[in-house]
Amino acid sequence: MTVPSLTELAKAGFANLSESRALVEELSRDHGVSSDVLFNSIGDTADPDRSVIELERLFRAGSAATFVEPLLTETESFARLLRILGGSSGLASFLQRHPSSAAMLATASEIPSADELRASLLKSVSARSGVAHITGEQARTALRVRYREELLRIASCDLSAEDPVGLVQDISRALAYLADATLEAALAIARADIVDSSISAADVAQVRFAVIGMGKCGALELNYISDVDVIFVAESSDEQALSTERALTIATKLAQHVMRIVFEAGSEPGLWEVDANLRPEGKAGALVRTLESHRAYYERWAKNWEFQALLKARPVAGDAQLGKRYVETLSPYVWKSASRPEFVEQVQAMRERVTAHIPVEDVDYQIKLGPGGLRDVEFTVQLLQLVHGQTDESVRSRGTLESLAALAEKGYVGRPEAISFGQNYRILRTLEHRIQLRDLARTHLMPRQEEAVRAIARGSRLASTATELQDVWQRVKLEVRNLHERLFYRPLLAAVATLPDEAIAITSGQAESRLAAIGFRDPRTALTHIAALTTGLRRRADIQRALLPVLLKWLAEGPNPDSGLLTFRRLSEKLGDSPWFLRMLRDSSGAASRLMTILSGSRYVADLIERIPEAVAWLDDDAELIPRDIASVRSEIDAVVERHSGVDGAEEARKAIHSIRHRENLRVAMGSILGVNSDVLTSSGLSSIMEATLAGALRLALRDEELNPEMAIIAMGRFGGQETGFGSDADVMFVYRDTTEIVDNEATRRAERIVARIKEILEDHRLPFDLDTDLRPEGKNGVVVRSLESYAAYYTRWSLSWEAQALLRARPSIGNESLMEEFTNVIEPVRYPAAITDDDLREIRRIKARVEKERLPQGADPARHLKLGRGSLSDVEWLVQLIQLQYAHAHPELKTTSTQLAMSAAVDASLVSRTDADVLMAAWNLASRIRSACTLWGVSTSDMLPLDRGDLDGVARLLGYPPNSAARLEEDYLSATRRARSTFERLFYGM
Amino acid sequence: MDKQQDFVLRTIEERSVKFVRLWFTDVLGTLKNVAVAPAEVEGAFAEGVGFDGSAIEGLTRLYEADMLAHPDPSSFQILPWRGDVDPTARMFCDITTPDGLPAVSDPRHVLKRTLAKASEKGFTFYTHPEIEFYLLNNSDWENGGAQPIDQAGYFDNVPGGVAHDFRRRSVRMLEDIGISVEFSHHEVGPGQNEIDLRYADALTTADNVMTFRTVIKEVAMEHGVYATFMPKPFAEHPGSGMHTHMSLFEGDTNAFYDASGKYQLSKTGRSFIAGLLHYAPEITAVTNQFVNSYKRLWGGGEPPSFATWGHNNRSALVRVPVYKPGKGQSSRVEYRAVDSAANPYLAYALLLAAGMRGIEDEMELPAEAEDNVWELTDMERRALGYRALPPSLADAIELMEQSELVAETLGEKVFDYFLLNKRQEWAAYRQQVTPFELRNNLSSL
Repeated sequence: MTVPSLTELAKAGFANLSESRALVEELSRDHGVSSDVLFNSIGDTADPDRSVIELERLFRAGSAATFVEPLLTETESFARLLRILGGSSGLASFLQRHPSSAAMLATASEIPSADELRASLLKSVSARSGVAHITGEQARTALRVRYREELLRIASCDLSAEDPVGLVQDISRALAYLADATLEAALAIARADIVDSSISAADVAQVRFAVIGMGKCGALELNYISDVDVIFVAESSDEQALSTERALTIATKLAQHVMRIVFEAGSEPGLWEVDANLRPEGKAGALVRTLESHRAYYERWAKNWEFQALLKARPVAGDAQLGKRYVETLSPYVWKSASRPEFVEQVQAMRERVTAHIPVEDVDYQIKLGPGGLRDVEFTVQLLQLVHGQTDESVRSRGTLESLAALAEKGYVGRPEAISFGQNYRILRTLEHRIQLRDLARTHLMPRQEEAVRAIARGSRLASTATELQDVWQRVKLEVRNLHERLFYRPLLAAVATLPDEAIAITSGQAESRLAAIGFRDPRTALTHIAALTTGLRRRADIQRALLPVLLKWLAEGPNPDSGLLTFRRLSEKLGDSPWFLRMLRDSSGAASRLMTILSGSRYVADLIERIPEAVAWLDDDAELIPRDIASVRSEIDAVVERHSGVDGAEEARKAIHSIRHRENLRVAMGSILGVNSDVLTSSGLSSIMEATLAGALRLALRDEELNPEMAIIAMGRFGGQETGFGSDADVMFVYRDTTEIVDNEATRRAERIVARIKEILEDHRLPFDLDTDLRPEGKNGVVVRSLESYAAYYTRWSLSWEAQALLRARPSIGNESLMEEFTNVIEPVRYPAAITDDDLREIRRIKARVEKERLPQGADPARHLKLGRGSLSDVEWLVQLIQLQYAHAHPELKTTSTQLAMSAAVDASLVSRTDADVLMAAWNLASRIRSACTLWGVSTSDMLPLDRGDLDGVARLLGYPPNSAARLEEDYLSATRRARSTFERLFYGM
Repeated sequence: MDKQQDFVLRTIEERSVKFVRLWFTDVLGTLKNVAVAPAEVEGAFAEGVGFDGSAIEGLTRLYEADMLAHPDPSSFQILPWRGDVDPTARMFCDITTPDGLPAVSDPRHVLKRTLAKASEKGFTFYTHPEIEFYLLNNSDWENGGAQPIDQAGYFDNVPGGVAHDFRRRSVRMLEDIGISVEFSHHEVGPGQNEIDLRYADALTTADNVMTFRTVIKEVAMEHGVYATFMPKPFAEHPGSGMHTHMSLFEGDTNAFYDASGKYQLSKTGRSFIAGLLHYAPEITAVTNQFVNSYKRLWGGGEPPSFATWGHNNRSALVRVPVYKPGKGQSSRVEYRAVDSAANPYLAYALLLAAGMRGIEDEMELPAEAEDNVWELTDMERRALGYRALPPSLADAIELMEQSELVAETLGEKVFDYFLLNKRQEWAAYRQQVTPFELRNNLSSL
């Protein structure tokens, strides 16, 4: 015989050519294995290299000659052996332990039926009338060996199949039947094992005992290696002869024995864990209960997930009649669960659990739990079943594929979607089977080594190389994710519109329960919106019909899907006929998902976008979401004011200023929610819009009369520091100066008229512009506008009154350039004094202490007030200002109107420690962000941390927390401000 | 859980229980009680019982007044002192807001949350308190202070004395109510008694401490005397402490035990003690929560005033008791500062949190105190690195205010409320003019 060339090996599918060739030669030389037959047989083995390694081991294990050699003479039986050896090292080592079992592979066989398996396993323990005639270790070993022989038979059918994907359901079913048979035989052993001095065989015979399969075993979709979930139920067949209590004692013993017989370590290794933790009360509960006790439990105490588990219950071993009664008695409870009030929360929690518990490094390898994995398919099908099974018995089935078919049959999901969903599920299950079979290990992870993936590819016949298999798998994952939307959401449309070419039939009541299940609070109204969106003008309705399923899903992921959907409907009515709108929704899934995020997450944006629908177009382009630079906004406003000239144009100009302001605010809000803009960029953007708006108003106001004094507007507060948030007031002061043409009283009166006119221009009911002049000298009691000289006089006289402190954030920003410069010169020595006396410092501290007491609104909780509360904005700002007053003269880098920049300058100058600054700024930033988020979310007052859980949750979502984080946000805020307060007290009051 | 609910409903029927008291504890450790009729119990399990939380110390603020009490069926007990006439039972409750979230200010929840954190790390926390208290003739004090019922001393047997009967009766009653009692004896002070509760998981122990206080007061009333858990009722006699033995278990294994360690103490045990010592000063405001508590702590003698540990050193804050050979499961440490008036839920939560932090940060245990810490001079103590516990409630408050550990363990709201309340107590105390001042100053100044 000739030595095969390496090329021949490569053709036959080997990867480690030289090593495998050496083995093939050895097999031929030492054991007379014909290379020709081997090459003819090895073609469709998952891992040819491994199969020759295992074959060589099999010879070394001894007694191979008797049992293995007969298989090697004929191509077919040799191929069966090689497929097992190359496809499953677990089964290979079983054969090495028990070479005689190889005889199972001598002839081709069908997948065994439930009855065959039951008979085979019972026979292995010589059971008659449910009682084994061998016991102990001997019986266990016999049972386990037979189990593995049958497993060998099933695996052989699986690995030999032309189309394993098509066969996967039959294989899973056979594996479940094999588990049933195993439990039955184990029970037969247990019945014999437990008989001793205290328990007679007659007693045992009086116990009716049934094993109920749950989970995958119950659903007849078991994997190769998996725990088998069960519940035990028992009763006495004759109360007179055996009391219930005694029957339960015996039954408990039976159950314990069954679990040990199957799994406990022994000379032949255990099979799989029999897991009884789904029983009432879980681990803490009794192992065996009567049917009545089960019923009472589900009647009264069971949690929702326990009902969902019951969905899969199937009698698998023991007394068939009792098992049947169990299922009949309890299944009605399953269908009550979807109408329970906590159902929605539990479903959401279920979905989170799915993705939350995977270690990050495994996500890409997860067949089961990762995105687009088996769990996604099962989750979707189960959710649909629970929603519709309430009223329709025909969808109350156990298996995933079976249920999917039933849902399609009744028109709850589209037929084509159901078909491809089912196909993807089969592919994933095939992959899972191949992976588990390889090492007979309970894993759901795609191997990481390329050779292993290649073997999976070949074994599943889905691809011939590792790369190809990855491509197939990626495609499946993607489809599963998309199909969820189409299966769950698309049929909702059928309740309100006719879908072409499909047999989806769903009533509006059913659609409402589906909407409620995903978080719509008012499903009826939502359904009317869906109806409106999918009927009407043809082209628009067509496109929206296609898109709405996924849009609904995105909306439901946000905190307020109801209002999001309403706004979307209005937008669509306004924009529906613009081709770009539909094109964008259709072609840019990024833009569409962003639109749903902002609509469901922010009433502020929803209100604005309804009036500026064209803003939707920005979603496609991040550059459009970045705040525009102030110069371009100002020149746009200037141009608009110029264009609408004359007295008649004034109102037009006013409106135009407002609409530019709305548009730019909307831009910044959208960019901020979508995470395009940083907090700093957002604040400076908002400050710029304020500034440009004020500039426009001033320009318009000056137009009223011929003669005007020189005017300037000084930005104050957060506006002065360019740290404006959503909903911040515009703090300002007005200053004027006489010109050669207008002086004294005349100038004063004119300046006052200008300011009054500016206020009038800025009045805006839709998006209020809160012009606040309270920081001016003498506060509310002072005149609204002063001349430069008057400011100078005032600040000289009252130098270092606490009003000077407000000047630290004064930023002359609009109006006459030279006047602004002069104003800066006036305030410079006031806000950055060369020296500050102890008396002055004490006065500032005293005022702060008084303000804390007095300024908080009546009844407000200081711990929750974002602006004046404990450790919040004003504490931090006062401290920074105190430092600036004391040290800015000596440290010019402290001369800034920004609280954040001043704080970092103070750290650089070693005036505040880095640690203290971090604590303080953490609170300042969090309070600022919460205030903005309150405005964006749409609560009426943004000064308090909301009390309402729904509001808190919405605000938390805008800040990037996961769903249901109200309590976490509250705790974070309270602790950040507590730390800040304690640092503040130490640094400010010197305690 | 649910089998226990069955048990409760069945027992109520079988024993013809007439009233069921639902118990919970406010932030300061005072027992609160809502009574319901037996017919309402099933509903209470399912939905809870609504009550106005604003009336309860520290439980809520005015605006979130509506609260629900959810009885814990595993705590169901018939109250023995009610006799057979109108049998009355009680259950402890968890408090929630109407939307089903645990009330952040429920002390029982604080302990549960802390236990859950330890359990994530694989630990179960067991405690075993030794509770001291005084028996007085009555609660009058205005004529020359409180009146103890006898003049006996440590372990004295007082034949035919009220105290003897009293102890027998209360031990019996405690056993009836399902609280195992380890030991009971006459303590050092006149009329002072100690009863030790058997070790159990910390939540059960805390529930038991609350029950214990009620039982003792009831039995005292039966005997026509008065029982007090006040930390220090007599200046000249020892105060009443609640020394607490603690151990951590990993599954069935005592995590403090290591046959090869010094005093058979494992590394986990050593770090746990290190954590206790490190955080002792800042948790004292909770373990010793009254102005009066500090009279005990600094009254000299047994109670520990310095954060030290020792093997069988009765002046140390943390004591590692004598190891009995072959009893690896009973390895434990004893924390001696807690007094009988502490809120057991909060105190245990903090002790556990402090010890766990020691384990997480792998803190090193400082050297053992071998001398009587009281007899050292201040300089000696400084040299040895023994830190003092706070000398007064005011100091304790100040230390607690700065404590991240306490804030995190209690949660921001309980933390806030507790401090608020204690500052008020201190302010009110400071206004007092005491007999001490009158005695020393009035005649001479």
